[in-house]
Amino acid sequence: MNDMKQFSFILLLFFGAVLASCIREDISGNSPEDNFESLWKIIDEQYCFLDYKNQEYGLDWNEVHARYARRITPSMGSEALFEVLSEMVNELKDGHVNLSSSLATSQYRAWFDAYPHNFSDSIQSNYLGKDYIISSGLTYQILENNIGYIYCESFSSGIGDGNLDQTLNKLSVCDGLIVDVRDNGGGALTTAQKLAARFTNEKVLTGYISHKTGPGHNDFSTPQPVYLEPSDGIRWQKKVVVLTNRRSYSATNDFVNAMKQLPLVTIMGDKTGGGSGLPFSSEIPNGWSIRFSASPMFDPEMNQLEFGIDPDVKIDMKSEDMQNGKDTMIEAACLLLKK
Amino acid sequence: MFFFIAIFCCLWASHASAQEDSLPATRYVMRSTMVGVGKANVFDTYLSPLEYEGTDFRLLHESMRMTRIMGGRVSVQNLVQADFAYAENPARTGEMYAGLINWSCALHYQFHFGERLKLLFGPMLDLNGGFVYNVRNSNNPAQGKAYASVGASGMLVYKFKIARYPMTVRYQASLPLLGAMFSPEYGESYYEIFSLGNDGKHVSFTSLHNNPSFRQMLTVDFPVRKVVMRVGYVCDIQQAKVNRLKSHLYSHDFMIGFVKNFCLLKGKRKVSMPDNITPY
Repeated sequence: MNDMKQFSFILLLFFGAVLASCIREDISGNSPEDNFESLWKIIDEQYCFLDYKNQEYGLDWNEVHARYARRITPSMGSEALFEVLSEMVNELKDGHVNLSSSLATSQYRAWFDAYPHNFSDSIQSNYLGKDYIISSGLTYQILENNIGYIYCESFSSGIGDGNLDQTLNKLSVCDGLIVDVRDNGGGALTTAQKLAARFTNEKVLTGYISHKTGPGHNDFSTPQPVYLEPSDGIRWQKKVVVLTNRRSYSATNDFVNAMKQLPLVTIMGDKTGGGSGLPFSSEIPNGWSIRFSASPMFDPEMNQLEFGIDPDVKIDMKSEDMQNGKDTMIEAACLLLKK
Repeated sequence: MFFFIAIFCCLWASHASAQEDSLPATRYVMRSTMVGVGKANVFDTYLSPLEYEGTDFRLLHESMRMTRIMGGRVSVQNLVQADFAYAENPARTGEMYAGLINWSCALHYQFHFGERLKLLFGPMLDLNGGFVYNVRNSNNPAQGKAYASVGASGMLVYKFKIARYPMTVRYQASLPLLGAMFSPEYGESYYEIFSLGNDGKHVSFTSLHNNPSFRQMLTVDFPVRKVVMRVGYVCDIQQAKVNRLKSHLYSHDFMIGFVKNFCLLKGKRKVSMPDNITPY
């Protein structure tokens, strides 16, 4: 029976080792304090712009903890807790940070609310007329001065290669092309890149991407280059103007950055809204979910794009133009493309 | 090295038995299939810092037979398990689905203690592939699971009778000891890995310090008319801590199924069974 004893001993040894090293969650409890600490920790360990925003506007996440911890009480209700936690994450000044509960979803809106809208769909309809075409999420028309106009409202739905071929083929008779991404709040990066790939004939470095490798504020991977590869389909060979406003955000920000690297492209309008952090999701013990920026993206010179991209030509909508039903940006783009 | 030795032994075990012409011990196979249901606890900090709990479903197929290794005292066991779990977070506002396919091949040296008790112990090759999917996450909606290891497996088999009613009880435990595991880096998206093709530390060496997992199984076989039934309990503890990401998939399942014992006929001359007995 010695074998039996040895076997039992080995088994006990291994089970002891395994049981002693249970890998479990670190957080426990569901009180307002627990939820506050959990949310603060998620941002502290996983949010990717803490150091950058400290440099930009003095964000101190430890100071935020101290300031908001004073507002947390054991007896506070869900509504009050949501309000305090929403205010806390809005300190990040990031449209990609949203706390979601059954009560509401928090949103930092100053990235567009504090600036002119610079877009009116009723004025846009004066240019689109009644015979515009919608193809795979792209709305397009040939304007009266033989300039092609594509309005891309969102990158949330995929754009088909066949649709893009058809659209660019139809617009090929035009002297130039306007790609309007105003009010485009983003969507899938792959969709944005698919559209941008129609405007380059060669592989172009458009920037870098990094991600966190640990909970420390400086734990980042080596930035990896991001290239725009030319599409195998029909590619546009004439001048292009991309129209932007502050609501051109997230994947649209990435699209504008990619287009900005191309020689025949001019970015026109207002600064984009930014949102260069690829958002991840997590949650706190009471079940509220939190979305936050996790992977920063940079331009080819390693500049941060989180607070937007400056246009090549800065133009705001003029009120007198708007009163006359004219879109100042579309008019300026046509002039530039006709030169 | 241990990994390659284990693979070689598994292949050798299959090959050795395939060369036989007659019907030696290596031709007798025990196969069983069981299905089960139980509790699951799913945790993956890539997706959420919270533990999700719910229902677990498991399908388990097992085959065992003797080999010619070490004078015919070594048996080979193949276990294929498909595990699926549906779980919710403590507040029941989030859902996760987890799936894991596991194949393990163990070579057991058999120690006999009298006619009733057997102790089996030996190396094991363990392969796993699966996913954990969080329904409401944005760019981190799912985590892929792929890991392989070599480890140790032990089994106790005890045959007994209750009022002339034959029964077999078996307890088995297996532990991965050395291996490799795929994992994205701490805050890395699958977009970076697959769409951009970025490199990184995606494969980590594992051992007990960062992959303290084990599986154990208790089964009881008993005949019901002409069928040998098997009921059992499976405790599957899969844990990992790689790239500063913590995860576990705990499942406890009560299983039921049946056992088949039969002889394998293989080779050119066994394309059919002997003429005097074959129905084909």
